[in-house]
Amino acid sequence: MTLPSKRVGSRDGLGWLLLGLGFGLLGWFIATWWNQTEPASSTLKLLIGLGFVLAVWGLAGVARQFANTANPLVGFTPAALTLLVVLVTAEALLRAYQVPAGLIPTPSRVLATLVGVREVLLQDAFQTVVLEAMVGYLIGCSLGVLTALLVSRYTFLERGLLPYATLFSSIPIVALAPVLVKMIGIDWPSKAVIVAITVFFPVVVNTFRGLTEVHPLSLELMRSYAAAELQQYRWLRLPNALPFIFNALKLGTTLAMIGAIVGEFFGANGQGLGFRIQIEAGRFGFDIVWSAIIVASLIGIAWYNLVAWLERRLTGWHVSFR
Amino acid sequence: MRLSPNLGPMLVVALVALALYWPLMYLANIPAAQRALDTGAALPCKTAVECATQLRSPVLPSPQQLWNGFGNLMFPLNSPNAIPLNAAVTALETIVGLLLAALLGFFFAIGMVVSRAFERALLPWIVASQTVPIIAIAPMLVVLLGQYGVQGWLPKAIIAAYIAFFPITIGLAKGLKSPDPLALDLMKTYNAGNWQTYLKLRFPASVPYLFTAFKVSMTAALIGAIVAEISTISFQGIGKMLAENSRASDVVAMWVIMLSSALLGILLVALVGWLERLLTPWRQGGRAAPVVRRAGPAPRGEVG
Repeated sequence: MTLPSKRVGSRDGLGWLLLGLGFGLLGWFIATWWNQTEPASSTLKLLIGLGFVLAVWGLAGVARQFANTANPLVGFTPAALTLLVVLVTAEALLRAYQVPAGLIPTPSRVLATLVGVREVLLQDAFQTVVLEAMVGYLIGCSLGVLTALLVSRYTFLERGLLPYATLFSSIPIVALAPVLVKMIGIDWPSKAVIVAITVFFPVVVNTFRGLTEVHPLSLELMRSYAAAELQQYRWLRLPNALPFIFNALKLGTTLAMIGAIVGEFFGANGQGLGFRIQIEAGRFGFDIVWSAIIVASLIGIAWYNLVAWLERRLTGWHVSFR
Repeated sequence: MRLSPNLGPMLVVALVALALYWPLMYLANIPAAQRALDTGAALPCKTAVECATQLRSPVLPSPQQLWNGFGNLMFPLNSPNAIPLNAAVTALETIVGLLLAALLGFFFAIGMVVSRAFERALLPWIVASQTVPIIAIAPMLVVLLGQYGVQGWLPKAIIAAYIAFFPITIGLAKGLKSPDPLALDLMKTYNAGNWQTYLKLRFPASVPYLFTAFKVSMTAALIGAIVAEISTISFQGIGKMLAENSRASDVVAMWVIMLSSALLGILLVALVGWLERLLTPWRQGGRAAPVVRRAGPAPRGEVG
């Protein structure tokens, strides 16, 4: 349900105008300071601040126009503009203060590096994402759902295992990483195991909740139909659990990426985003570090959205999407 | 006691796990012991079975080794190389991190509930911030903060806050949006202002979500603090001990530290649970908070 926007006309134009002015100011400064080697004067720094304020102000106006857009691609415009404002301001500030690249590289420098080392980073990403994160994620999630099914079926397991699952979910998984890497070896399977353990517990706890928090009336109905237990699971409990499962699956995507990357800090076979980040951070090659971070984030966002898309496809009937 | 019906089954499961530990330990260690014997390492034992409990870097340490490891790493209590002092430092970083994260989470959540434009502009990046490996930012952050005189445990708390603010943001936003539309309508008929709606309806409704989020965030903050200690130069903390013993390949010590940090995590989450019971006594002694109760009957359909 989209409400017609109340503010049409001049207010809308004003937002874009302010945004354009802000970008113009920041862009002008970056262009004039491109080859300078000394810090800018305080007047110029004030100008950057003014540009930033104008851009944010304009952004607020522009974002209001997109508040009720249904199309996700068009709705992404304000977010994209936010990123642009932050990047351009960062570029301007870093150049104004002449922060050394060994401390924080400017966005433009990171972009150039990203294009330059893309092949190495793609290989790293294959190792980290496909072999470690995805394999571990699939194993951990399927085991988690199976365990939850068993636990919801047998009260003894619910009482004996579930408290441990909640207990285990408050354990810092990073502390597991060095032990597992020492135990299994520095190749990718050790990281896949870390990821599987990381995503396992949220999936168990959430799926169990979804399977058991069924409305009593629905259960009564199933009973009055004399539905077998299998049918009850097929037609009532599993559909009811799907939104819960997807919540855990979405949470799991980020956990999987972090688990794989942190696991690589404790030993890797010379490949992987985490390995690259650690090695280059040690050498103060922060432009490569940021490039690796960008690759990891892009993949993480894409993965999250893939799961969210699956969720919309499979649970489109649900209240939260109506 | 709430736990009493679970206690029996939990004990059974624990006993089964313990009974399985010995065979698993032998299964995992005997090949390693055999290899060590074959290479002619100086071991105080003759056969692989005997050596399985005495390896210097076992795959699974024997209970005796773990016990000795705990003895070595726990005492004296105030030693800079023992677990208690380091765990206390990490706990401090975690708690301060959680408080910072709560501040940040409040800001973002209220912004998102008040203004859809704010949500459109920032939510994708809040989600994206969680996919960024904090460990990469940690060294930079520490150097940067160091230039402004912020050193020691505070940078670690800030990194902990960075990873912990996300669950609080999402949980609080969900909680603030959770009141029944009917209740919101009622507030309207009372002619309640925005501020009053928040104070009297939305904030109370968000409390259960908030504490659930705090529990998740506490774990996240602990992970953040440990990772920050690992990836920066640190002289105290669980993370520093992990990194040190990982470099020294002291497997038994790593197991001991892992178990202690697990205990620390459980204690910190229990602290939140205790606070929850203390602050919300009307909620039946703090029973399990509702998760995102998105499933279930549609409220409007029932009321007609």
